[in-house]
Amino acid sequence: MSDRGANYRYVSRKRRAREDRRFIAGKGRFAADIAVPGMKHVALVASPHPRARIRSIDASRALESPGVHSVLTGDELSAETAPLFNGLDIPNVKWFPLAVGMTRYAGEWVAAVVADSRYLAEDAAELVEVDYKPLPAAVEIESLLDSDSPPVHPEHGSNVLVRKNFEWGPVEEDFARSEHTLAYRARWGRSSTVPIETFGVLSRWDPIREILDVWASIQMPNYQEQIANALGIPTNAIRVYNDVDVGGSYGVKRGIKHTVITAYLARKLGMPVRLIEDRLDNMSGGDAHGPDRLFDVTLAFDGDGTIRSMKLRAIDDVGAYPGRGPLQLGKPITALVGPYRLSSVAYEAISVTSNKTGQVPVRGFGQSPTNFMIETGVDLVARRLGIDRMELRRRNLIESHEFPWRIPTGTEYDSGDYRAVLDKTLDLADYDSLVARRDAARAAGKLAGIGIATCLEPGGGNNIFEQLLNEKLEITTFVESCLMRVDMHGNVTAVMSTTTSGQGHETLIATIAGEELERDPDSIRVTHADSLEALPTRSPVASRMAIVLGSATSEAARKIRSKMIKIAAHNLGVGEDRVEYQTGTFFVRGEPARKLEWNEIAGIAHRQFHRLPPGTDPCLQEFSVLQVPGASGQLPNEKKEIQLYPCFSFQAHIPYVEIDPGTGKVEVLDYAIGHDCGTVINPDIVRGMIVGGLAHGIGAALYEKFAYDEDGQFLAGSFVDYLLPSSHEIPMVKDVEHCTPSPKTSLGQKGSGEGGYLGAPAAIASAVNDALAPLDISLAELPMRLCDIEAAIHEKRTERTE
Amino acid sequence: MKAAEFDYIRADSVAAACEALAAAGPGEERKIVAGGQTLVPLMAMRLARPSLLVDIDGIPGLAGIDSVDGVVAIGAMTRQRAAELSPAVRSELPLLAKALRFVGHPQTRNRGTVGGSLVHGDPAAEIPLVAVALDAALEAESTGGRRVCPADGFFETPMVTAVAPDECLVEARFPVWNAGRIGTGFREVASRQGDFAIVAAAAQVALDGDGTCTRVAAALGGVAPRPVRIAALEDALTGTRLEDRAIDAALASVEAVIEPDDDLHATAAYRGRVAKVLLGRAIREARDEALA
Repeated sequence: MSDRGANYRYVSRKRRAREDRRFIAGKGRFAADIAVPGMKHVALVASPHPRARIRSIDASRALESPGVHSVLTGDELSAETAPLFNGLDIPNVKWFPLAVGMTRYAGEWVAAVVADSRYLAEDAAELVEVDYKPLPAAVEIESLLDSDSPPVHPEHGSNVLVRKNFEWGPVEEDFARSEHTLAYRARWGRSSTVPIETFGVLSRWDPIREILDVWASIQMPNYQEQIANALGIPTNAIRVYNDVDVGGSYGVKRGIKHTVITAYLARKLGMPVRLIEDRLDNMSGGDAHGPDRLFDVTLAFDGDGTIRSMKLRAIDDVGAYPGRGPLQLGKPITALVGPYRLSSVAYEAISVTSNKTGQVPVRGFGQSPTNFMIETGVDLVARRLGIDRMELRRRNLIESHEFPWRIPTGTEYDSGDYRAVLDKTLDLADYDSLVARRDAARAAGKLAGIGIATCLEPGGGNNIFEQLLNEKLEITTFVESCLMRVDMHGNVTAVMSTTTSGQGHETLIATIAGEELERDPDSIRVTHADSLEALPTRSPVASRMAIVLGSATSEAARKIRSKMIKIAAHNLGVGEDRVEYQTGTFFVRGEPARKLEWNEIAGIAHRQFHRLPPGTDPCLQEFSVLQVPGASGQLPNEKKEIQLYPCFSFQAHIPYVEIDPGTGKVEVLDYAIGHDCGTVINPDIVRGMIVGGLAHGIGAALYEKFAYDEDGQFLAGSFVDYLLPSSHEIPMVKDVEHCTPSPKTSLGQKGSGEGGYLGAPAAIASAVNDALAPLDISLAELPMRLCDIEAAIHEKRTERTE
Repeated sequence: MKAAEFDYIRADSVAAACEALAAAGPGEERKIVAGGQTLVPLMAMRLARPSLLVDIDGIPGLAGIDSVDGVVAIGAMTRQRAAELSPAVRSELPLLAKALRFVGHPQTRNRGTVGGSLVHGDPAAEIPLVAVALDAALEAESTGGRRVCPADGFFETPMVTAVAPDECLVEARFPVWNAGRIGTGFREVASRQGDFAIVAAAAQVALDGDGTCTRVAAALGGVAPRPVRIAALEDALTGTRLEDRAIDAALASVEAVIEPDDDLHATAAYRGRVAKVLLGRAIREARDEALA
């Protein structure tokens, strides 16, 4: 951690994000902007049935259609490639990019047509004749636990993919000594991140150099490794270009199956092949849905509101092809008890497969549903005991002097001041006036409510929780790296090795490098090395880049600075300890006239070997590769305890809503959020994450759902039916920052990429329930659709009349 | 999301458009495109696949608003936004002006047309609802000449209207109420602003000097295969002073008229209950406006 406190030159200062320039000018370079000579286009044939046997596929008419080069089916592709990666240990669940023998959800891709244009490819795709035998589908989440539910993957034997029981701390004792228990159910609907840019990929095979070039809208760890495994080619025969701008992701840009289709076709046909999902491809067949969870929870607590323990069962419907999705049941273990002082917790995690589109990681990797579950319970306890919800939280929040605080699962929270953030947020919301406003609205016959959520954003991506769900995943290394050089003219270039999907990594690196080197961040060039030119990255998931890449940037910069000081000392004829560096000048302490400028040192390093200290390598280039700061690097112990993510950001949300009792329509009229992500690197970027995250969370709370009917037919394949909130639905957001630096990172920074999304669904649900409290209604199913809210109001009023 | 192949004709007159439609073979799916805000996305998704598209966007004189002899005539190509901002519509058809604000978003209203919305015939759409509420007359042309259809009967089933495949709607004529103090009310509920209404309600009332209701029009959208008038309610309220109690009692007649369905966004039961809530509010809004 820095000893410079708040005296930063560039860090935490309001400076324009450097990426903005190209995006605002319309000069971003996205996957669909990249064209290479001879490029062909893919359109997909999708299954209309939730579950069906494929009797035959006749592509003869499609192949005769103008401009068509090939029609690829699952039979061919599965014979020529290996199955895609599953996070769980489920060897009999085989995932191929195209359906093999059976379709497992409505919208699943059955064949891929390659043609000269996407128009021609779509024309031909309609001519592919697939003979299906429709079968009953496995749909409803609880029914998937039954042994007689239609088997999604018959070879696996059941629709339960994994079922794990964990117990941390003295659960039974805590329950026995608590004065009350309260059981409840919470339901998180199937929503996701739905980026403006759908997934797109272009693959080109060079048979002479034996290199597969891949340009993709990707945000995924181990991408080239997964491509190599599927195609059976060496990892060093794959070059993924990381300088492709990614137009939104928050976890979902995981087009491995798209990539394998195009890469296979590019090699087979000797033509560059690209696949750009259209919206329907993306929403129905892109395997980009998020968690779909049913929580059954019991809390144990005392009459004074002290919550001691929680027993939790989570069923997660991961759809037909699990991929990495099910591991989202593991991440929340990182902060399973939220910001509260629970001393024990029991967790049953169940992952089930269904005839629905596959699940991918979504912003927070399962933390937002978990936060919603926890906060729902805290509000219910408050209602049961008649204790004010803010007060109940105060009584249970970990206090600032208690850090580092170890939760029952073995993870230590690094730092925080939760009460201070809550108090700041109450001030920001002008809470007393807000209460008066609510009460006045109620007196005027409206339903009005104030929401509250106090919750955590674990950051850093120390993903050893994977091993808790799959013992075979013994991965304990989660690195990021930064290569930095100062050239002969003194100009600084920093190299990262991942794509960016809106997080502002160039700003992050330039700001931190600028701070460490006392150079104007705008003068620092940041590039994205391709996958052959850099170490693999874990990719910008898990709010980890400020933490891990940021710390690596600091370290690389500090190495550069030390080397320059060493060269300066040698040339100034003093010991290194007597050289001081300030804004581009190296001088002897107390004798400012004895100095060397930055550019002179750079020149010496590159060109004047005779002026280098003996034994010093020429040139100025340093490299830093970092494991997650503060990670033990070990596997969980026999009690399944383990330090997971290193840094814990905190948020307090206070929205105000009014509900039209006649229509059930919720209006979010006001929103205050307090936020602590330690040292803020760039305030605009953090605010963007907060506000964008809030919008994302309001969508999950009130509007967004990938709905299926009871037969498994997909109902929400367009923006007419999958309802994203627009600016009309998002209130003006007031935010306030608090800074509790993390002791584990270079400048005290923590993660902030999951932003407001981790608390907004819980907070909106809390506000709706506060509005409905006078009617004694409590809802815990997201999204809270207006017709469900109206139905609950209607039912209660009918009861009362009767 | 690439449209299937189609022929495209840009007509320079209504006659030319009608000739193009008539010349098409009987098996051809013919469509007129005006603002394209509904049809083009449907074509991109291949849910609509006309083989012939006749574009009437460039026809002179097909857009425009005239107010003559107690009738506001709106040309079929008139942009929804132009109608919304038209002084004639605002002063003489305030119900339509109110409804237009709920049609999509300003961006789509800049392209979408009044005629296009009428011919599309979405049972929850605002412009058809107002046409039914105000007894608009809809004039269509074909190579055989022009004919006028009353709004009552124009809307048949969802997305099906009385306009034949070889006809082009040219004008919608809305009668203006002049007698007494006029008030209007328009209410709808949608999941998000700008969405298709789940339920929409339109009301227009005329009160005489002492506040007695001499005329009332009330209609609902989103609760039947077409926008529906609630005639029994209109009859019951005519002659009352539109007291809250009278309105609430009259709303009972809604149930007999509507045939709501379930869909992804709302249940039939919801639509039924909310229809009464919104129509009650629309009538009260109209009453209060007339009295103001």
